[in-house]
Amino acid sequence: MRISHISAARRLCPRVAAPLRLHRCQSSITTANLPPPLAVPPESLSLSEWSATVEEELIKLASRPLRPLTLADLIRFGRPPLSPKSLLASARFTRENLPVRLSRRILALRNLPFIIVSNPHVSQIFDNYRQSLRAIIASPLHPTTPAEEHKFTETLTDIVKTHSNTIPTLARGFLECRRYTTPAEVTSFLDQHLRERIGTRLMAEQHIALHLASTTSPEEAAAHTAIQDLGGDASTYIGTIDTALQPARLIHSCSSFVGDICELRYGVRPQIVIDGDPDVRFPYIPVHLEYIATELLKNAFRATVEAGATDPVRITIAKDPYSEGISMRVRDRGGGISPDDFPNIWSYSFTTFSNAGDENEDDALGRFNTGVASVGDGSSIAGLGYGLPLSRAYAEYFGGSLQVQSAYGWGTDVYLKLKGVAVDTI
Amino acid sequence: MLLPPSSHPLLCASPLTRLPRHLLSLAKYRQSHVALSAGVSASFRRHQSLQVTPAPSRWRSPTVLDSYVEKPARPISLRQLIFFGGRNLDDKRIINSANYVRTELPVRLAHRIRDMQKLPYVVVTNRHLSYVYELYYEAFESFRKVPEIKTVEDNDRFCEVIKATLKEHLTVIPRLAMGVLECRDLLPAEQLDKFMHSLLRSRISRRVIAEQHLALTDTFNSPFHFPDAPIYHHGDFVGEVFLRCNAKEVVERVGAYAQELARKAHGDNHPVPEIIIEGHMDTTFPYILSHLEYIIGELLRNSIEATIEHHGSKPDLPPITVLICHAPKHVIFRVSDQGGGIPPEETEDLWSFAKSKRSDLARLKNFAQVPKMAGTLQELQPEPAAQTSLHTLTYRPPDLKLGMGLPMTRVYAEYWGGSLQQTSMEGYGTDVFLHIEKLGNRLEQLNIDHL
Repeated sequence: MRISHISAARRLCPRVAAPLRLHRCQSSITTANLPPPLAVPPESLSLSEWSATVEEELIKLASRPLRPLTLADLIRFGRPPLSPKSLLASARFTRENLPVRLSRRILALRNLPFIIVSNPHVSQIFDNYRQSLRAIIASPLHPTTPAEEHKFTETLTDIVKTHSNTIPTLARGFLECRRYTTPAEVTSFLDQHLRERIGTRLMAEQHIALHLASTTSPEEAAAHTAIQDLGGDASTYIGTIDTALQPARLIHSCSSFVGDICELRYGVRPQIVIDGDPDVRFPYIPVHLEYIATELLKNAFRATVEAGATDPVRITIAKDPYSEGISMRVRDRGGGISPDDFPNIWSYSFTTFSNAGDENEDDALGRFNTGVASVGDGSSIAGLGYGLPLSRAYAEYFGGSLQVQSAYGWGTDVYLKLKGVAVDTI
Repeated sequence: MLLPPSSHPLLCASPLTRLPRHLLSLAKYRQSHVALSAGVSASFRRHQSLQVTPAPSRWRSPTVLDSYVEKPARPISLRQLIFFGGRNLDDKRIINSANYVRTELPVRLAHRIRDMQKLPYVVVTNRHLSYVYELYYEAFESFRKVPEIKTVEDNDRFCEVIKATLKEHLTVIPRLAMGVLECRDLLPAEQLDKFMHSLLRSRISRRVIAEQHLALTDTFNSPFHFPDAPIYHHGDFVGEVFLRCNAKEVVERVGAYAQELARKAHGDNHPVPEIIIEGHMDTTFPYILSHLEYIIGELLRNSIEATIEHHGSKPDLPPITVLICHAPKHVIFRVSDQGGGIPPEETEDLWSFAKSKRSDLARLKNFAQVPKMAGTLQELQPEPAAQTSLHTLTYRPPDLKLGMGLPMTRVYAEYWGGSLQQTSMEGYGTDVFLHIEKLGNRLEQLNIDHL
């Protein structure tokens, strides 16, 4: 399996060691080297064989401009339950845009140095993307019946599930390959990749959520989107967006979760105090804010515990008078970030938690294993070093921002700004 | 132990009465060297009022200036300033210091004059900017013509020249600001900002070394000075550098003054936000006290004003919190207020001299008030303070809104390698972080050509 993949890769793109940029492989080379198309049904082709047949289309898709996903895009099909017509419109929108996004990722991945993409973890992710693209373009371009739409949504659900562990897997792969690349290269690739992934995933999840809200019972739909876990109420949701998200409530739930980890690991549970305007609500995507809040609280709690501070972590929430958004400040007394560490806080895999500079392979992997394995079930307080840069990617995705200021010797302040969307435009 | 300002060495030695005589002698000096008589009467009139008919710029041969422009400035660090005046202040050291100042000032002035000469003609002939230009050129001429200082008496004469020039240049900042405002349409804002920034930094640098030398001379001349005694007897001042700036004390003092100003502006019964200090209370470090007072004063003024504007006359105004934090190499001040934050469209222009939210007409009018403040200083202040230019700004009346507090404070903060950063939570409040390098080891933070 691995061998055919390598030779296929060689055939498709002779210059695999090119810099991390999208560039076209000359199709004249590929068509010249390939055997004539097989006279067999497409489903029975192996992944690499299939890849070879769609090379031209792949290049065409990847060269289409990336349409950034806005909050307005997400709500433009209406409030659920959507009419069959609107639901089909949403399906068509997704079917049209998803392949462009997936193709771009495939090209970016295969342009990485050969030695990196050969790493089993990275190559697994590479296969996942190609598999997903294959599944999508096999479905009709313009679904016209509810049955087609239903099948399409099932395909989407599979894809979302397949890609749910992309980040820890990629992280592990890059860590194993750290000797063959530079932190700057990794950061540059990941910044682009993870930001695009946010949009791609959101697009798919949104359609799935809209579908469920429009075609199934409210209980089923709620169960899928875990609305109740986040303390919400289905009537305020438009797919993945909660039009009346209350950050204070979300933060309480994240803090209890992170506090549990802290207790497990350190035997101490730092407290939080929320001031400012705890009742404020704004339209946003709860899972995004949940991710960001969890990461920021992890950092604040860990610093607080390790500094032996007893002051609670103070979170100030304010409604932005000029837009639909909010500002949030997380202030801890965990001793701050040293001037030496400060320039590195936005790099991926920078973490003071475990020093992965060890020559002893087993040790580094062994320690890292704890991190990776538990990122899935979230029982580690830190480990990947992806928390800050990824949180910033989420915050910036819809025009927000994340800033860090530190008073070394005292504590750290993190400022999160998020823009909402004017939902009364529906 | 902090000396009360009234017995500060600098103050004792600069009675106001000496001034007019000096102006007279300077004017006479110029008279004998000037081709156009208009120049003399104009320069004399300058000190009387602001309604100056701009003297046509005399043409001066650029070759003299060229030779000074070619010389690099020699930067000095806070630490060097302290150690220089620290021990055994004797004749030799005072004379060395005098000659350093004598040669440094014209070089630094020359660089700035050349900068101005390269600006568009229409900009430099603006009445305010041309006023500053003339002032700088004359200062350059007078300093470069001072012969080598060989005796203590030579130094005393030299110090008189310095004092006179410092006094004359008190009005430079408001004049520059007015000029920059008036020239907004003649040059892109970024260029104006850059120009203002470099001029201000250079000005700070010249005044630091000049005022430091004056203070050292006074210490040397004072009846209590014994050359072999450690300098610490004089209240931990080495010239203008206060070796033991206690952060908490400075914040308290400056904060109390800012609160009083607010009461004067809004009425004695108007509530004023409390200033709460937290953190490492015994933080002490060497710094130029007047710089620190100015920066913290500006930040607290802004916070108080914002809080009052945002909350009106509610009895329980949310307090302003000042955090003092010391790390091995830094001292950090964080000023947090709940004054409603800063709207996003104003955030970019916050650090600009050329752009400001305050209406230009109002600002221009306000600036015209500043020079007159030197006279009214005694009324305003509870205690008399040294008449340095920075003090006139620090202790200016509350309703004098100049609209350039933040960019100015940043210039001062960055002067010794520190930094000033501001983050706003719109609708809630603002946090400002001031980082100061503790040991003062960094050379003055200037590109050599910006000195």
